Amino acid sequence: MLIGMLGLDQHEVGAVAVARLLRDAGMEVIYLGRFNLPPGIVKTAGDENGDVIGLSCHSWEYLHYIDELLALLRQQGLSIPVVVGGSVLTAGDERLLRDKGVAATFGPTSSVEDIPAAIRAVVMDARRP
Amino acid sequence: MSRRSTRSGIPLKPVYRPEDVAALGYDEALGDPGVFPYTRGRRPPDHAAAAWIQRELSGEGAPSQSNAQLKYLIETGATGLDVIGDTPTMAYLDPDHPAAAHAVGTQGVSLCCLDDYRELYHDLPLDGLTVSHSLPPLFGIAGFYLAARERGIDPARLRGSIVQPPFYCEDCGYATHMPFPLRLRMTADSIEFASREMPRFHAFLEDTYYISDGGLDVVEEMALGFVEIRYVVRELLRRGLLVDSFAPRIAILVNCGMDFFEEIAKIRATRRLYARMMREEFGARDPRSLAVNIASHTSGLSLTAQQPVNNIVRGTAQALALALAGVQGIEISGFDEAFRTPSPESHLVGLRTQQVIQLETNVSSVTDPLGGSYYVEALTAEMERRIQEMVARVEDMGDPAALCDRGWFRTLFQDAMERHARQVRDGTKPQVGVNVHRMPAHEDTLLRALAERKIEPSRERVERIRAFKRSRDSRRLRATLEQVSRAARDTTQNLMPSIIAATEVGATMGEVAWVLRAAYGVPGDPFGMMESPL
Repeated sequence: MLIGMLGLDQHEVGAVAVARLLRDAGMEVIYLGRFNLPPGIVKTAGDENGDVIGLSCHSWEYLHYIDELLALLRQQGLSIPVVVGGSVLTAGDERLLRDKGVAATFGPTSSVEDIPAAIRAVVMDARRP
Repeated sequence: MSRRSTRSGIPLKPVYRPEDVAALGYDEALGDPGVFPYTRGRRPPDHAAAAWIQRELSGEGAPSQSNAQLKYLIETGATGLDVIGDTPTMAYLDPDHPAAAHAVGTQGVSLCCLDDYRELYHDLPLDGLTVSHSLPPLFGIAGFYLAARERGIDPARLRGSIVQPPFYCEDCGYATHMPFPLRLRMTADSIEFASREMPRFHAFLEDTYYISDGGLDVVEEMALGFVEIRYVVRELLRRGLLVDSFAPRIAILVNCGMDFFEEIAKIRATRRLYARMMREEFGARDPRSLAVNIASHTSGLSLTAQQPVNNIVRGTAQALALALAGVQGIEISGFDEAFRTPSPESHLVGLRTQQVIQLETNVSSVTDPLGGSYYVEALTAEMERRIQEMVARVEDMGDPAALCDRGWFRTLFQDAMERHARQVRDGTKPQVGVNVHRMPAHEDTLLRALAERKIEPSRERVERIRAFKRSRDSRRLRATLEQVSRAARDTTQNLMPSIIAATEVGATMGEVAWVLRAAYGVPGDPFGMMESPL
């Protein structure tokens, strides 16, 4: 799994905590850190043969980058699911993201214990023919 | 963690008694307010003196929009201002940088050239209030200085502060993509310049807020703050400056979390530690060099997206702790902090909270009202011991600059973030609405719509800056940027005069930063997307 943040968003608490949580749950996490733009994320996801891309958001930049990211994945024929989490996600944002094709969203009220299982489910879903 | 300890893990007794403070001599450990070692306050008690400076962190959109915000705050009763740049500004990127596109003005004000500072401060009584700046130091000082001077205000009369973050900025949200020697030089050059030209301005604000709000405990927060202060002070002394020429203008902006007495003890211990350090280690003699100015921003990390109205209660408890600790300035994080930079409504609530505490509760009529409390004094002494011990431990590991480059601090910050997340998850850090007293989402509606309102990126700013860049005299611009480049390559020169000259002919912060990075051997644009301005 790849975990990263978009644009100039620098509040890393969530990204770091979730990366560790998923490692503890036995997943292989490539931590992309801060300052990523969609082309770089898609390239790394392809090169590393990632199962899922996780974006952590503490700014609203994701709202503007998500279309570009999903379009790039489609263009390159990569069927890697994208999940988005962060305290700035409102219920409305979560609906919007899922409508755009984001596989799962984790807002401030989602339970941390559920995140590894939810991500596993997303990966299994994507592998289904 | 059991409830019988502070949040930083200091074990607590059920009750404190005289024997817990028996070792503390009054004159040696406390002293009256305004008397060494300043534990009880930096100034002598004075009923006529103004209360703490009441301000709220602000900055949003284009400079003109922030100017309106600042005027609104003053009308609402703010007695000081605090301006923060948006994420591109804090990263030394101009708004027309492609990576900045969706972040211009959404988390602070967008500032990149002299016109921006003119607009930001337009019609504000710059010599009649204090302006704190969370902005890149060289450029924030140059902008404030030039904007005041051309309005006929003597820069020597300017008051306020600017954050100097050379150690921790790369790891804690203000990444500059500049190497440590350049970051240290920008700090030292701007302090040296301001201590001469703007002697009333606190050009060295040590900001322990932003480094700790990922999850550091109070001991780690202050220990890292002292490590940075000590390093910069040594650098200024190495340059031949006299300690009393700059030390009166060092200030600290601390965090304030929810452990009420621990935060109060932290502030009192910091005043004592600082006074002893400046006198005994650095030989300061001027009382103003010994009595440190402390302001505080209440913790954003303690605020929750769940039940946002509870954040008003948290801000009130935190501001009360700060009033009792006797700080010089308070900013309360907005109740909408989990979602956005402060709305006008949360600015209003923040200021009204401070006004109610100051005017209605009578808590500030007596200086250091908790002085002599067995508990508070015992906790203050223990806090001092632990901070001092951690500073020594870090400095014993070698040159702090090398630790910084090796990522030692970054690991500490990441461990703290992970620790905080784990403590919230397992309930050892109770957070009402998050891990206890939860509420179904459909009932959690009070203030929610307000807190969730978004700020659109200022797209028109991008066009405006592009047009501005095309309109400049390119020959003069190039000449001044070359001057900056030469100054950067000659470490005996101060960077400020050449940056001021470049700013006056229209150079932007992103262009100057490009030149500075290149002079220090790193890519001018960290994203590799902008061309050299030279």
